[in-house]
Amino acid sequence: MSKIGIIAVVCLAATVVSAAQDAPPLEVDPDPAPVLSGYLAFVPTWDSGNPTLVSIISPVVLVPLSRDFVVESRASFEGDFQQRNGNSGDFTGAIEKSLDYAEIDYIGNRYVTLTAGRFLTPFNIFNERLYPNWIRNTQTDPLIFPIGTGSDNGAMVRGGISVENDLNVNYTFYFSTLSTGKYFESERHAGARVSLFLPVERLEIGMSTQHVLQGTRVNRYGFHFQWQPARPPFEVRSEVAYSREEGKGLWAEGAYRFRSSPSPELSRLQVVARTQVFRLGTLPGSNPDLPSTDMKRTEFGANYYLTDGWKALASYGRTFTSAGDSNIWTVGMTYRFVIPLVPSQ
Amino acid sequence: MNLLKNILLLFMLGIVGGAFALPNEKRSDPSGSVASISSTERDAQWRLEGERRYRANCGRCHQAPHKLPPRAMAMAIRHMRVRAMLTDDDMKYILYYMTR
Repeated sequence: MSKIGIIAVVCLAATVVSAAQDAPPLEVDPDPAPVLSGYLAFVPTWDSGNPTLVSIISPVVLVPLSRDFVVESRASFEGDFQQRNGNSGDFTGAIEKSLDYAEIDYIGNRYVTLTAGRFLTPFNIFNERLYPNWIRNTQTDPLIFPIGTGSDNGAMVRGGISVENDLNVNYTFYFSTLSTGKYFESERHAGARVSLFLPVERLEIGMSTQHVLQGTRVNRYGFHFQWQPARPPFEVRSEVAYSREEGKGLWAEGAYRFRSSPSPELSRLQVVARTQVFRLGTLPGSNPDLPSTDMKRTEFGANYYLTDGWKALASYGRTFTSAGDSNIWTVGMTYRFVIPLVPSQ
Repeated sequence: MNLLKNILLLFMLGIVGGAFALPNEKRSDPSGSVASISSTERDAQWRLEGERRYRANCGRCHQAPHKLPPRAMAMAIRHMRVRAMLTDDDMKYILYYMTR
């Protein structure tokens, strides 16, 4: 233990010292002020012919306590309104309320940020970075999304280290406690994510791991990949999730934006395709949010960016299962807003 | 397996300790690293670098620079440091670019 421990500490120290030789570039850093942000989404979805009016309001509040302490929170109010008789009758349904995160962040130094409270589980990247409807290219959740994601109550240490300006190493370690309180559900588990980002190539790869410290004590593993080349307006995103007990699967998505089109109208258009697969694990049903059978799904869609805030969208997908195949359609609109809560300057 | 756990534990202790042990380098003397160039050239270089880093990091989700007042942008960039895993240098360059 002692030899390995010494090596680990020396490696860490060497990394920090070598990176610390890069002087911070700027002195300009205005005092932060509170911001209200968030998004609205209205995305009617027809799955197997049954319509669901998905309506979401999700406000984000950012409040600085000082230059280094930040409080941030996001809530979601989602109504999935369905017809009483499947595909006839009036639409009805409850509005689900959730507290996605309410955390305090402490920017310790160039390499470390500490977080405590309720935070988004840093497993793969969809949960933390791509989940809001105004960001995601395809509106339906990935089939593997319920593996390892959600919100946690606990603490987290994370940061990024630049290595010679052409490689960023990002890390996250966290643990969480069990909570069954309404709006504060959390599993007791510990996990980590490490990723490498090449800013010149705009390529990121990363791995996640999570060990559940309750119930079946399952292990979960993830792998993510994202590439957005500098010249062609094309991007690729992909995630893999594996849990021997819950299931395994992957999704891969490609999107092309007609940014270089001579037509201003066409340059706002993005076309997207995503394919995904899910396989049941050894304990089907242990994660009730996952599909109850093996499943494949391929989707094609288009997003039209009216402004940075407004996005119109439509997509078609085909779901394949042993019980039969079905279509899934979406059409809708998203709006993202940012409102400074103090006057300019 | 125990060795792996020990390494992980030490690594975490090291970086948590580092958060308090290392000086918080929020301010720096910009003239110290670029003394041989004028402030105009330096400003242009920082903007260019800020734009490059914006496109490499923020451009993966945001469509175009979303202009905000400087203090609001200082808040948003701290939020994105956590959410989008920006490094400290990324944060400062992008903030400079987005507020000028």
